[in-house]
Amino acid sequence: MTHALLFVEDVHVEKDGSSILRGVTLQVRPGEIVGVLGRNGAGKSSLAYSIMGIGRYRPSRGQIRFDGEDLLPLSVTDRARRGISLAWQHPARYEGISVRDYLRLSSQRVTEGMMEDALSRVMLDPPYLDRMVDKSLSGGERKRIELASIFLMHPRLSVLDEPDSGVDLLALGEIMTLFRTLSEGGNAVLIITHREDVAAACDRSYLMCGGRMILEGSAEAVKRYFLSQCSPCTELEPEIVKEVC
Amino acid sequence: MAFDAASEYTTLVSIASETGGQGASVGSADAVYVVVHANKILASHPLPGVTIDATEKEDGIEAFITVDDGVVLSKQVHLCFGHLGTEGRQVITSHVSIGARARATFLAHCIFPNAVEFLHAMEGDIVVGEGAEFTYNEVHVHGPEGRISVKPVSRVVLHDRALYRGDFTLVEGRVGDLDILIDVDARGVGSRVELTSKVYGKDDDQCRVQDFVRLNGAGSTALVKAKVVLRDASSGLFHGLVEGAAAGARGHVDCTEVIQGAAKAEASPVVRVTHPEAEVTHEAAIGRIADDKIEGLMAKGLDEAQAVDVIVSGLLR
Repeated sequence: MTHALLFVEDVHVEKDGSSILRGVTLQVRPGEIVGVLGRNGAGKSSLAYSIMGIGRYRPSRGQIRFDGEDLLPLSVTDRARRGISLAWQHPARYEGISVRDYLRLSSQRVTEGMMEDALSRVMLDPPYLDRMVDKSLSGGERKRIELASIFLMHPRLSVLDEPDSGVDLLALGEIMTLFRTLSEGGNAVLIITHREDVAAACDRSYLMCGGRMILEGSAEAVKRYFLSQCSPCTELEPEIVKEVC
Repeated sequence: MAFDAASEYTTLVSIASETGGQGASVGSADAVYVVVHANKILASHPLPGVTIDATEKEDGIEAFITVDDGVVLSKQVHLCFGHLGTEGRQVITSHVSIGARARATFLAHCIFPNAVEFLHAMEGDIVVGEGAEFTYNEVHVHGPEGRISVKPVSRVVLHDRALYRGDFTLVEGRVGDLDILIDVDARGVGSRVELTSKVYGKDDDQCRVQDFVRLNGAGSTALVKAKVVLRDASSGLFHGLVEGAAAGARGHVDCTEVIQGAAKAEASPVVRVTHPEAEVTHEAAIGRIADDKIEGLMAKGLDEAQAVDVIVSGLLR
């Protein structure tokens, strides 16, 4: 079996006195698109922040390894420089910074043509380069620009937190094509989502509930389980089910 | 460090062009410009319709600049004031008169790249004539070390339907000890004032920004905005006053201060209304740069200091 690019084992995170990740284990292999599906509040975004190294989500227990290296001592910056990047569920807005300047932060070698190509992949026109990354952009536009930025970075691991939110259904197919491109060349994508159709488009999926992974398996099988047991939710504290194919 | 007049001129103009100025206009035949090092006038170039009468004083210069009625300047007037030494003082006294229906933009570059113990004071009075439009942009370039005292005072009078835009920027290098006062008397009917101040304090810099606008003319309007970013142990005080003293006067004062580290900030936006048909509003916010903004950029490989610099440069743009 191919070695894991991202290896998360028994990760526990406490925040404000509450246990928000309770022994999460997960692997992402090179070339994979892996989904983490779950209802709101399941702990999915906390997992993404923990992988990226956001200080308030530092694990109290467990390990997170990237290409064999222990990530826990590393800062957000160091993790990014190792090849991990996070597309935030609600990307921050930056007053006075143009989309062009923002995309240039992704790579020193980025050209005007590369930025226009990245925007076209998220269905935005070149004039967006002159817009400001501030509150004049809608949440959906800001989300697309974040995805364009990730595309320009070519990270080895893209962690995408609810990448579909704010992006209309018609665009989802195009966005999935972008994710497939991100996973080429031995890179990988971890998609955090509460939508079963997004998770179903992944190579494999995990189902998360109450800060734990309760199911791992084929994307279609996880989707079926989610639709039957989680929508609506049948149990507040489900037991870890099993691996399904 | 010794400079001759030629190298002083070249260095000042070169720094000006690298820091957002139009250095190329200095020396060109179709532009108005003045270049001053300490109390020496290195260059002075008027054009028809624009008069410059500048005199060297003991510790600076005094200049009378007049734009005649109806003159529209397509190129900005470049005033380049500076000192390349580490110590000393420079006092610039200016009297600017913009004639009726004239239109002009002045860019004042104040360049002190090596200043350690230095006083730079400006005393300016500006009169904007009926129906005239005047934009005055003042950009300071200081070195990364030492303290410089910067004391610019401008008193502006606006006649009927005159427009005054003032933009003060001190974001390059140390602020030092800044005490800026802009006092505008918008006495003209339908006159308009737009003031913007942008300051980036570092280390133990002290930044005091005072913007006062008195809306004495009927239907006069004002927008006063200040953006002050403070880091390390710097401190900042913004005092904005807009007074609505005439029928139909409308004004707004808005201050945003961002602090990092052990910096301290105080904002005092004051609105005063002395006429029942005037309306003046204000808002002020002091806060830190949100963690998610910094972390968002760190996730692109910037370290924390680089991330803060990018955010601050956007805020102060």
